Amino acid sequence: MSVPQSRILALVKLQTTLFSQTFNPLRLRTGNKILRQRLRGPSVAAYYPRRVATVKDLQKAYRHFDEDMETWDEEEEDRIEHVALVKQRGKGAPKKKRTRDESKKNKGKKKPAVSAAAAAAETKL
Amino acid sequence: MSQFRSKKLDISCFINVRVIRDHTKRKVFEQYETQRQALRYIIRNTTLPQRARAQAQLQLSQMHCYTRFTQINNRCIEGGKSRGVLKDFRMARFPFRINALEGNIPGVKKASW
Repeated sequence: MSVPQSRILALVKLQTTLFSQTFNPLRLRTGNKILRQRLRGPSVAAYYPRRVATVKDLQKAYRHFDEDMETWDEEEEDRIEHVALVKQRGKGAPKKKRTRDESKKNKGKKKPAVSAAAAAAETKL
Repeated sequence: MSQFRSKKLDISCFINVRVIRDHTKRKVFEQYETQRQALRYIIRNTTLPQRARAQAQLQLSQMHCYTRFTQINNRCIEGGKSRGVLKDFRMARFPFRINALEGNIPGVKKASW
């Protein structure tokens, strides 16, 4: 029992319309495979847990009720205390360099001591 | 790259340069995914003119590397490690073990028979 080719094609065409597929009897590469793929961006971007309200945010949110409201942020206090301690020992972070010259001062190669000695000799002469 | 990085920190897990970088890559990937898929479609479609396909190929290859999925690497949310990370729990094997034994991860139990 043989079925004519045209009948099979008609069946496939009907099938594609029913299941919302593309009718492609010549099997051309139309790149439909890519259009069928789902977008995975949203799930990929949601990997790390997002930040919810922090103590600072809460303080900011409630500040307009009362300017002098007493709030506390233990972690921030600990940090400030630590910074103060470190500074006392002279181990704190260096001061921010504001100008270009200041930041360049201690950078680059050290000047050789020979030239300094030569300069001293020159001044003697 | 710094041009993509958000000005304000928007994740709350273990924070590390590498974690921030990976998070940035994820966001950039999400932003450009449709554009990439469209270009890929043009490239794969043999019914389109050859010239258009070649142009799309060029355009795709010139996109920033952060828009590529292969740049993304799952990292541990507890310690930022990139190796031995269990995908389902987003944790490296050791933090996972500790949390599981403490009972912090629902449905996970130490096997014993």
